Amino acid sequence: MQVKFWGTRGSLPVAMKADKVRGKIVQALQAARGKNLDDDQAIADFVDNELDFSVAGTYGGASSCVEIDFGNDEFVLCDMGSGLREFGFDSLRRINEGGKKGAYSFFMSHPHWDHIMGFPFFAPAFMPTNNLKIVGGHDIEFALRRQQDNPSFPVPLDWMGAPREFQVMKDGEVLDTGAFTVKIRKQPHHGDSYGYRFEKGGKTVVYTTDAEHKLDDLDDFDAHIEFMRGADLVIFDTMYSMADAISVKEDWGHSSNIVAVDMCHQAGVKHLAMFHHEPVFDDAMILQNHTETIRYEELVRPGDDVLRISCAYDGLVIDV
Amino acid sequence: MECRKENKDGVIVLVVDGAIDHETAAAFEQAVMPSLDEAEAAGTGLVFDMSGVDYMSSVGLRVLMLAAKAAKQKSISVVVAGLQATLAEIFQISRFDKIFTIYDTADAAVAGVRG
Repeated sequence: MQVKFWGTRGSLPVAMKADKVRGKIVQALQAARGKNLDDDQAIADFVDNELDFSVAGTYGGASSCVEIDFGNDEFVLCDMGSGLREFGFDSLRRINEGGKKGAYSFFMSHPHWDHIMGFPFFAPAFMPTNNLKIVGGHDIEFALRRQQDNPSFPVPLDWMGAPREFQVMKDGEVLDTGAFTVKIRKQPHHGDSYGYRFEKGGKTVVYTTDAEHKLDDLDDFDAHIEFMRGADLVIFDTMYSMADAISVKEDWGHSSNIVAVDMCHQAGVKHLAMFHHEPVFDDAMILQNHTETIRYEELVRPGDDVLRISCAYDGLVIDV
Repeated sequence: MECRKENKDGVIVLVVDGAIDHETAAAFEQAVMPSLDEAEAAGTGLVFDMSGVDYMSSVGLRVLMLAAKAAKQKSISVVVAGLQATLAEIFQISRFDKIFTIYDTADAAVAGVRG
């Protein structure tokens, strides 16, 4: 399996402004003082190896959209955030290059706006030669239709030419697609959200975002740990700090990096991908959050098994 | 994990030793809530003397947050003292250092609570 992140930002897409770009350039040039950067390779090596990711790159600003490639000829996506637009064009490129056909399956966490806003801009949905299957615990068709109805958008859903099939799964249901199995779990969020446990060939990826796992809701806590049990990769909503999640932002529907690490430890997860980044955080703050989360994992690690922690960014690819 | 209660100059001090994890968090919570009632009756506040705590995960942080919320309703103060280096880092990473006043020692905390 291969996981590619097309959108990792929570709640609202964001874009970097000129002052942030300038700040990165200034920082990079300051770090370059006294270095021998006479040739292009030396410059590339310096950028790749000596600059923080928050300076040399960016976590991006597209909202939730994650591709899981099971190695067959179909596309599988989790959510339709604004990252879906770029995925759509890339998928057409891959179809043209061979190896993929125009079959797209979507597994929807929930129909909140930031998780469906990419669909009206998803070019493959306009092509009658493609096929879309949209799976979720909610009535996603209603949400997509309303999103594109007048006066919110000029192109109604039925104007999009690709055949669509919608499937509503029940909490705990397992779907065997032939290429992989997927189990759905209802999660605590305003109006509920759903997590997905994908399994193929002994490998497991869990996509669990927009979920507020409260430490005093032991039924949810324990059940979710079982849902994530032994996963090779868990993509987890780490939007808030622990203090915010249980105080000023309690009941806002999201979890923290601290809860993510504790739950992954208890579930025996191998790799955690921090996801659904707070839109007010800039790259430096997200990097700090990542660094601190790695340190927290060290401080509370219950045994010798290291929980690998990545911080998802738009464009990140993880092989499972 | 063990908790024992002390009264220092009218301030309730909860001295905590050991690890606060999923195994011990419930016992920690059971010890905290009556101490808050005593602090309210004393009209002062509650000091968590954490100098003997060598491990605390999110479940322990949750109990401290519950204590802070309850203390706000009771109009008393809750402060933390004696964090070991590991715990101090966990407070910083979880941003609990923005919520709690942290003192180096229990005596300093008592003085702080008494004003």
